[in-house]
Amino acid sequence: MSLSRRSFVQTLGVGAAGMWVGARGREGSLFGSEAVFAQGAPSPIILSSNENPLGCHPDVLAGVRGSFAEGGRYNYAAVDEITALLAKKHGVKPENVLIGSGSTQILRTSTHVFTSKTAGLTATIPAYEECADYARLMGHPITGVKLTADLRMDLDAMQQASKGAGLVFFCNPNNPVGTAVTASDTRTYLETLMKQSPTTTVLVDEAYFEYATMPGYATMIPLAVQNPRVIVARTFSKCLGMAGLRMGFAIAHADTIAKLKAWDGTNNVSIMGLMGVKAALQVPDQWVKDEQARNKAARDFTQKWFADRGYTPTDSQTNFMFINIKRPAREFRDACLKEGVLVARDFPPYEKTHARISVGTMDEMKKAVEVFGKVLAQPAKSAA
Amino acid sequence: MSLSRRRLFQRLSPVEASSPAEWIAARGREAGLTEFGEQGMAAGARPIRIASNENPLGPGQHVLDAIVGKFPEAHRYPFNAKQTEGALITAIAQKNAAKNENVLLAPGSGELLVHAVRAFTSASKPLVTAWPSYETPRDIAKKMGIPVREAALDGKLRIDIAKMVEASKGAGLVFFCNPNNPTATVHGKSAAVDLVKAIRAASPETVILIDEAYHDYVTDPAYGSMIDVALATPNVFVTRTFSKAYGMAGLRAGYAIGHAPTVKSIAAYKMPYGLGTLTLGGAIVGFANDAHIASERKRNTEVRNFTVKAFADMGVTATDSQTNFLFLDIKRPAAGFRDACRAQGVLVGRDFPPYEKTHVRVSLGTMDEMKKAVEVFKKVLGSTTTTSSKDKQQ
Repeated sequence: MSLSRRSFVQTLGVGAAGMWVGARGREGSLFGSEAVFAQGAPSPIILSSNENPLGCHPDVLAGVRGSFAEGGRYNYAAVDEITALLAKKHGVKPENVLIGSGSTQILRTSTHVFTSKTAGLTATIPAYEECADYARLMGHPITGVKLTADLRMDLDAMQQASKGAGLVFFCNPNNPVGTAVTASDTRTYLETLMKQSPTTTVLVDEAYFEYATMPGYATMIPLAVQNPRVIVARTFSKCLGMAGLRMGFAIAHADTIAKLKAWDGTNNVSIMGLMGVKAALQVPDQWVKDEQARNKAARDFTQKWFADRGYTPTDSQTNFMFINIKRPAREFRDACLKEGVLVARDFPPYEKTHARISVGTMDEMKKAVEVFGKVLAQPAKSAA
Repeated sequence: MSLSRRRLFQRLSPVEASSPAEWIAARGREAGLTEFGEQGMAAGARPIRIASNENPLGPGQHVLDAIVGKFPEAHRYPFNAKQTEGALITAIAQKNAAKNENVLLAPGSGELLVHAVRAFTSASKPLVTAWPSYETPRDIAKKMGIPVREAALDGKLRIDIAKMVEASKGAGLVFFCNPNNPTATVHGKSAAVDLVKAIRAASPETVILIDEAYHDYVTDPAYGSMIDVALATPNVFVTRTFSKAYGMAGLRAGYAIGHAPTVKSIAAYKMPYGLGTLTLGGAIVGFANDAHIASERKRNTEVRNFTVKAFADMGVTATDSQTNFLFLDIKRPAAGFRDACRAQGVLVGRDFPPYEKTHVRVSLGTMDEMKKAVEVFKKVLGSTTTTSSKDKQQ
């Protein structure tokens, strides 16, 4: 690694837990949501977990209801059925697909299978924490790669830091910063890495795939089914509005799927989730396009509100925003919570300046910006 | 049968008869054995599924209603729902005079068994399990290269407590499945307490996992849950599941309860948000309804008595079942019996070595299902040539 690159990369020891949001539950532990939902209190506006605020297509719930007759049965047969349907939807074979309990299980299983004490995890700082949390649990080394000044993935730095890694977590669009990398840049990165580092596997997390509108963005599924060292993770928790059903999946080369399966099975997913996915696969493309457009309108509205007041958003390709609020996220979060608006956790190293805010409905965002205005009008209590 | 159930069956893919072991390893237990398409039975027939120790009635209406009540929150992560994991944890803790720190949830108790092996065993700290017993701890240990000490059962196919204690010295984890799956036998409270005491004396660092998956089906008055002991004793915890008497195998919920530091060690491996928002809503309501469980126990006991007697009339001996399944000495290989029953639309349990040449596990369906199944069993056992279809091929 060249000296100039060194400053963009930092190796996070097992003890460097502070760099990553620790432990279980993400936002769960932030608010203790049962207190937030105290009886009689008005419902809060939940902008903390990148959910689809309108929920899933009604057919999905009809599918869940249709699963009730099988509620007492183990899911073995349904897993096969839904795996085949997912494969068909994505133009791959069933042996290229692994269902998971949300993409969470895919991320954990991939980290388990492809990292070790000597071949660690490489990920941007910040990135969705699951892989790093798991690597830390296992005592496997973690290399964090800083973002560029405009909070994009620094592909040159990633390239360097990925050499020799067991697994690279390539979150595209990136959570929490919202920016995305084009398919062409991703392919160049992958091709170079494959040559440079023959034992590295790359997990491309496309959780926000349906929300990305940037020209040139595309899925890596076609590459993943060809290349045993590339895995794509997807989820039904975001655009499809099924976070409560816990369904996600991996698409990869059959040999790679076999390795993942050999460690962890599909016993965690419920028949409700499986039958919900079956219905979701029939949801018209137009429904997804409408959700994409609805999200973009609410996001544009909110980002413009911030930009007009000097708070810069990133180029979000997701259903959340990462905003330079010029004060600590914690202070902003606590103040918003008092006004009934939940925004996300800290994302080091940006926790002193940036907040992640999910996109709610337009109506929710109009109410939320009133709260943001009130909160930001107060002088920051601690220096940014 | 509802439309959805029929559709599900019509789409079941044929099993690769050549590789049942791989299927089981990759997926789950009966997956490769019991679910099948047109092969093996008449087209359009509805099988009687008595292979996986499920509650044939499924979740109660109160549970299904609660799930429908959660539909408006299906898009929320469980931690953002009006009832989070905390609500179920609190209910479980309160019913057992425990604290929330004593309870850990998982999507089925199977995940907890896996975590326990990961947390407490190593290359130098073996797993101890009765054999045969529920396979997950042994399977995961073998997969991880961790040594396994198998303690053979006693003459009545009960877990041999003396052998378990003997094997426990220096072990990382002892898996004590009570009642034992697949043999259906149970040890009374005093024997279980003795086992814990003896292991604590022989090997104080060893963790003891008492799997009470079938707790709600036990009728033996000598039996008692070990939760109170687990709460008071270092290195001891109990696992329970909603997959059996609660009828929620498809919804995926289970829990561990025991000594707080022990539970905390397992929690480190817990997969975040494993229990979905709808599952949590159903489990909370299901857990609160003790009357439903009492009624399910009564129903199961009646079916069990009927089926045990029906087999006895055929000259087939069952162990003393305290569960929702029977372990039967059919004096012939399970595989041939299973295939013959399957051809008649009845699905029974997998092989359980070293008893696979003589014994079969049969789960208890509804009374109506068991009456029909008994007719099939009579037919199959009346025939002297129940050769496995697999054997025919080879």
